[in-house]
Amino acid sequence: MKLLMIDDDTGLCELLSEYLSAQGFSIQTAHDGQQGLELALQNDYALILLDVMLPSIDGFEVLKQLRQSKLTPVIMLTAKGEDFDRIFGLELGADDYIAKPFNHRELLARVKAITRRIEHINSVSNSNKKRCLNGITINFSAREASVNDTTLTLTGTEYEILALLVKHAPDVISKEQISEDVLGRRLASFDRSIDMHVSNIRKKIAEHSAGEKIKTIRGAGYVFIQGE
Amino acid sequence: MSLSKESKLPRFSWLRHPKHYLFFKVFAWFWLTIIGTFTALFFLSNISLINAISHEPLQGPMAKNLEYLSRVIERSAHKHALSINDIITHPRLSKRKMLYLNSQNSDTTFISKSIDNTIDLSLLNFTKGMPPQVIFTEYYQAFGPVRVSVPQGEFELYEIDINHKRPLFIRLKLLPAWLKISIAVIASLALSFLFSRNLIAPINSLKQAAIRLSSGDLSARAAISSQRKDELGILGRDFNRMADQLEQLLSAQKRLLADISHELRSPLTRLKMATGLAQMQASEASQSYLLRIEKEANQLDKMIADVLQVSRLEANSQPLSLQTQSLQVIVDHVINDAQFEAKQHNKMLLIQGDAQVNIECDEMLIASALENILRNAIKYAQHTISITLKHSDTITIQICDDGPGVPAAQLDKLCEPFFRQSDARDRVSGGTGLGLAIAKNAVIAHGGDLALSNKDLGGLCVEVSLPIQKRNHVL
Repeated sequence: MKLLMIDDDTGLCELLSEYLSAQGFSIQTAHDGQQGLELALQNDYALILLDVMLPSIDGFEVLKQLRQSKLTPVIMLTAKGEDFDRIFGLELGADDYIAKPFNHRELLARVKAITRRIEHINSVSNSNKKRCLNGITINFSAREASVNDTTLTLTGTEYEILALLVKHAPDVISKEQISEDVLGRRLASFDRSIDMHVSNIRKKIAEHSAGEKIKTIRGAGYVFIQGE
Repeated sequence: MSLSKESKLPRFSWLRHPKHYLFFKVFAWFWLTIIGTFTALFFLSNISLINAISHEPLQGPMAKNLEYLSRVIERSAHKHALSINDIITHPRLSKRKMLYLNSQNSDTTFISKSIDNTIDLSLLNFTKGMPPQVIFTEYYQAFGPVRVSVPQGEFELYEIDINHKRPLFIRLKLLPAWLKISIAVIASLALSFLFSRNLIAPINSLKQAAIRLSSGDLSARAAISSQRKDELGILGRDFNRMADQLEQLLSAQKRLLADISHELRSPLTRLKMATGLAQMQASEASQSYLLRIEKEANQLDKMIADVLQVSRLEANSQPLSLQTQSLQVIVDHVINDAQFEAKQHNKMLLIQGDAQVNIECDEMLIASALENILRNAIKYAQHTISITLKHSDTITIQICDDGPGVPAAQLDKLCEPFFRQSDARDRVSGGTGLGLAIAKNAVIAHGGDLALSNKDLGGLCVEVSLPIQKRNHVL
């Protein structure tokens, strides 16, 4: 499985390559934003690890330009304590983030959580399951969601969250459960990642449909509204 | 003068207010001096003003002119046998001058123009036989007498100059006494006010700048005009230079701290990564050392994060992600974690009251503040930690332990970064020495306050108060 790491810290890139190679990933590295973006656009990676502070163009800009044409899963590498970076990255369509200096086991867990889904799809792609609810159609095999026959451009994480909510409607799904199922990690205290992803999904649905589809249940989680 | 006596009375106690004392002292002294001078001048000038009629000897061209005029009249009377009245009312003379002739023996008088009867020329009768002089009265000035001998008899000639506009001092004299006094009082008040304000204003501005500076606002400067060249101007500019220097030094120090912390992270990330790689290949024997390395790296990481947070909060560069929500949610969250930690140390948490009130805050920051205070309390408590929550206009969260407390002299220092009560610098508990500094700065960033005190029975009390915005009451 091919990964791309965009980080100007060459030492870290070397160590991480070695570590992830030992875990069965093949890893390519880029040390500046422009070069990283070009690689990301030309190749199909299973996942991109993207640092925020980069020479030439910064991580946010790389993500923004990448998202215009590709939905490759992206994990942002942010500095610890920089809440703004984290939120901004998620808003721009990052799938998850990990704060530097990170624990190698934690990084591996997150990489696996996101790449696992792809493996899963590849294995079940021949089954043709669909679910249609309140104007939203989820095509589980093609990993696609559409509103009134318009396909939504959701990132992997956003798709997973929407699919989870639709699959379990009308049950309320807690943020903790979403985090564990989709991001493969426990939700940290006051972590707003899930809220950010849900807010992105709502925005994308709202472009094509007016009605409220996902409702926030305070203190409990989210629920997909079934409609009439 | 009498001010100091009066100010002892309670009703003048506002004069005693330290904020105004110097101003009023200077003001009162100026005013009293000025009013004293005015009064003295007023009385002195009144003495001379009572005698509104004054005179002085007539000399120079005016005397000669008058002498010449008398000769002209004499000549005309003798040569052309004209009566005095005809001469002086002749247009050539009366056009330019008002002449008055007074018989030396009888009461016969002549005047070249008819005059207003408010003008009393009979005064001039008393100057008969005197040398020529100028007589000043309220309504006119008279020049004379000059002797004129005509066939009709001996006369004394005066030239009268009517005051169309009364001289200023006359007009002033005619003002009613109350008005004169009020003008003097108001003028002196205004003068003293301007004078003392001019003196006190830069001192006030210095004082305010010093207060703001000491409360941590490093951009505070005294508003002193650069035109001001006196001692106060110099003092103000020196003060501002000092503040500049201070700001520069402190911001450089903070930037350095933040930069260092940031730069430390890259090698730390690599260190952790390398440790991870080593752990994969290491023998059983070296595993424990690698674990130790990992633990220390984590501790270093935590310290860097804390130093960064403190320096950011102190520099007010921490962006707050404000959200309105019930404080109870945050408190519950923190207490849940603390309960677990306390249980491990065989200590108890006692919670009183609630914080069911909506507050606009950065929940992460408030939670980390409370967490740090609680962790500190758990560390030093013997058996119990009591948490009291109250809310009215503000929210107060009091966290007390039953530990040894802190010497009163060190209470203030407790919130300084890396301050430790004992110099032993024990790091057994894994604290970074920044917990209370973070807590205090986080609370201050929300417009609240953190106060430390010792309980009577021993133990430290930390009281956090946070303001509740008005609109949150409605919610």
